[in-house]
Amino acid sequence: MTCLEFERDLPECVEGKPSPEQQAHLNSCPTCSGLLLDLNSIASQAKMLSAAEEPSAAVWNALEERLRSEGLIRSQPVYLPAEVKPSFMQRWRAAWLVPVAAALVAVAVVKLYHPANIGDNSPVAKQAQPAAPAAVVKNASAKRKPALSHEDQQWLDTVAARPPAQLAKFRTDLDQANAFIEDAQQSLQQDPNDVYMQQMLMNAYEQKQMLYELVVDDSSH
Amino acid sequence: MTDARKQQGEKLTEAEAIERAKQGDAAAFKVLYDLHKRRVYSLCLRMTQNTASAEDLTQEAFLQLFRKIGTFRGESAFSTWLHRMSVNVVLMQLRKKNLPIVPIDDTLEGDEEGTIKKEPGAPDERLTGAIDRLRLQNAVDELPPGYRTIFVLHDVEGYEHNEIAEMVGCSIGNSKSQLHKARLKLRELLRVDRAEKARK
Repeated sequence: MTCLEFERDLPECVEGKPSPEQQAHLNSCPTCSGLLLDLNSIASQAKMLSAAEEPSAAVWNALEERLRSEGLIRSQPVYLPAEVKPSFMQRWRAAWLVPVAAALVAVAVVKLYHPANIGDNSPVAKQAQPAAPAAVVKNASAKRKPALSHEDQQWLDTVAARPPAQLAKFRTDLDQANAFIEDAQQSLQQDPNDVYMQQMLMNAYEQKQMLYELVVDDSSH
Repeated sequence: MTDARKQQGEKLTEAEAIERAKQGDAAAFKVLYDLHKRRVYSLCLRMTQNTASAEDLTQEAFLQLFRKIGTFRGESAFSTWLHRMSVNVVLMQLRKKNLPIVPIDDTLEGDEEGTIKKEPGAPDERLTGAIDRLRLQNAVDELPPGYRTIFVLHDVEGYEHNEIAEMVGCSIGNSKSQLHKARLKLRELLRVDRAEKARK
């Protein structure tokens, strides 16, 4: 191997282990050996340049000012456990879980005792349906009816043949789901970094998906 | 962190600082800034060679990061996240100013003459053991911009060639060849510098 041939393979040699042929050349050529050692030394010493300098205090001062003006630094930070945001959580839990649980129970009972009679007037089905949601639930978001999407309308079309009471229930649950999604989206528009609202929005979409699945599951039987 | 620890003046850990920063705590932002400012600033300075630009870019990198801190889940290292953002901020700035980041594909195959010139009787001027940080820093500052970018990203900051290729928009082969040329150039600069000092 000549020095020129060795130099052509030099990049791989610096970043890896020399081949037997390269090593044989290195053993016999102090110039190439010195070159390789120098390049390795430069590569290894380069790391000491990382984090070698420090910015002036003005950088932090300007940065802090920007963070305050954008509301990322708050004068009174709020430290809350991750799972608690009382007003929202209370409203959402009360409004979500009761009607969803009611729907699950009602469907389960109908399937168990009267699979062909969905939402009928049998005593069993009636008995299994929980009492109407509390006033706080009614007041939560039922008054507001967000616009229905194309998918929502398709979903309602699939249940159009159901008894009016059941249809009304589905519609109420759907309106509540959309209202909660709208609430969370509006909150996130004001504060995109709000992790709690991000989680709430995810939960709201999941719950809406559950409603769809309840109907699909029911229709398939 | 309990209140007792805070009262004792113990510093926040990075994870604690991140969680408190999400709540808008100014002190927590400062902790994160102090932990990483040197590395971010050094990177910006190495690549721009201008203290004013480096400070502006440092501020911008941290600002972009802190804006997104609410979405940080801790699955990857915070420093990795910050560092990648810093590189992107610097590269964007270089592109805006139409400064060369990496030369067009240019491999060693075209260089037939080679670097090694054997002169009978010439002394072997090796650098081993003779590199100090200031001399190396000065030599890096003298590199052409394209060489400097690749060298800083690979040897100083530790990025792999595939990552560099993706960031700067070149091929992996180009990244490797530019790095090799950068190291050869640095060797030449350091040898000249040492020879000049020896003459004084």
